[in-house]
Amino acid sequence: MNTILFSLLAIVSLMVFMNLGKIRASKKQTDRDDRINWFRSRKPNFYQKRDGSKIIEGEAEEVDDQSNK
Amino acid sequence: MSKHSALNTFGRSGNPAFTKNFNNINSDSIPLAERMTLDGAVNRTAILLALCFGGAFLGWNIPALIWPGFLIGLILALVTIFRSPDKAGSTAPFYAAFEGMALGGITVFAEAAYPGIAIQAIGLTFGILASLLFCYKSGIIKPTENFRLMIFSATMGIMLLYIVSFIMSFFGSGIGFIHSNGLLGIGFSLFVVGIAALNLVLDFDFIEEGAEQGLPKYMEWYGAFSLMVTLVWLYLEILRLLMKLRSR
Repeated sequence: MNTILFSLLAIVSLMVFMNLGKIRASKKQTDRDDRINWFRSRKPNFYQKRDGSKIIEGEAEEVDDQSNK
Repeated sequence: MSKHSALNTFGRSGNPAFTKNFNNINSDSIPLAERMTLDGAVNRTAILLALCFGGAFLGWNIPALIWPGFLIGLILALVTIFRSPDKAGSTAPFYAAFEGMALGGITVFAEAAYPGIAIQAIGLTFGILASLLFCYKSGIIKPTENFRLMIFSATMGIMLLYIVSFIMSFFGSGIGFIHSNGLLGIGFSLFVVGIAALNLVLDFDFIEEGAEQGLPKYMEWYGAFSLMVTLVWLYLEILRLLMKLRSR
């Protein structure tokens, strides 16, 4: 009985790992300010800001029609 | 100013395997098909687990392979971490197989002394793996820099204690409570199992962010390797804990 129970636990857990492991973590996990920065080169996600707006911050530059392209 | 004062004081700590080698990777130049994915990391972990079980089968039948398996596995792990993480695809499968041999040999002795202990340890190891993965993916456990600092410090402390105990054993001495089956010994084992389990959370976070950042494909092997190292440690500690409990 003991063996069957623990074998089942191992098999079910492995199946959970194989399926759940391939799914991305929830927003609650990934959208945090205090996340570990493993690679020190995390690029800012400027497509979607934390508050939901899709604005690229920065200074506006005037474009002159006659300037060289 | 950073709010992580400990990091400011002691520098950016963490597992050297994770922090040292990957700061200059520019994922922009990597084609999409050549980038790390969660699928790839999980599949590679499954391959390593299968190899570990294969090695364990061999070790179970030839227990003399404990020391060769352990030593070669240790060398391969050190080479993978410090010399060539990009070659993890070549070294990690051998690491898994050799560590499997060592685990198989250790398990056969444990099983002879306490019948049924092996399947309990295997079930608990994978049970912890699955439940912590769920806690991580759902955001119940949120690893932060301070979390990493704490786990890393505790892990290094435990390793140091084991090394000191190992050296002292050559002189007929040792740190008694580590191996005792008294309350202190069991409490220590529970603490170590907890730290080993929380290392899994760091591995999950490493793999998740690696896939998010689009790191090179070989990092799938490296992520799987780091998960494997933690699983081997966790299994051994659970086995020790169960042996202490059964010997009372």
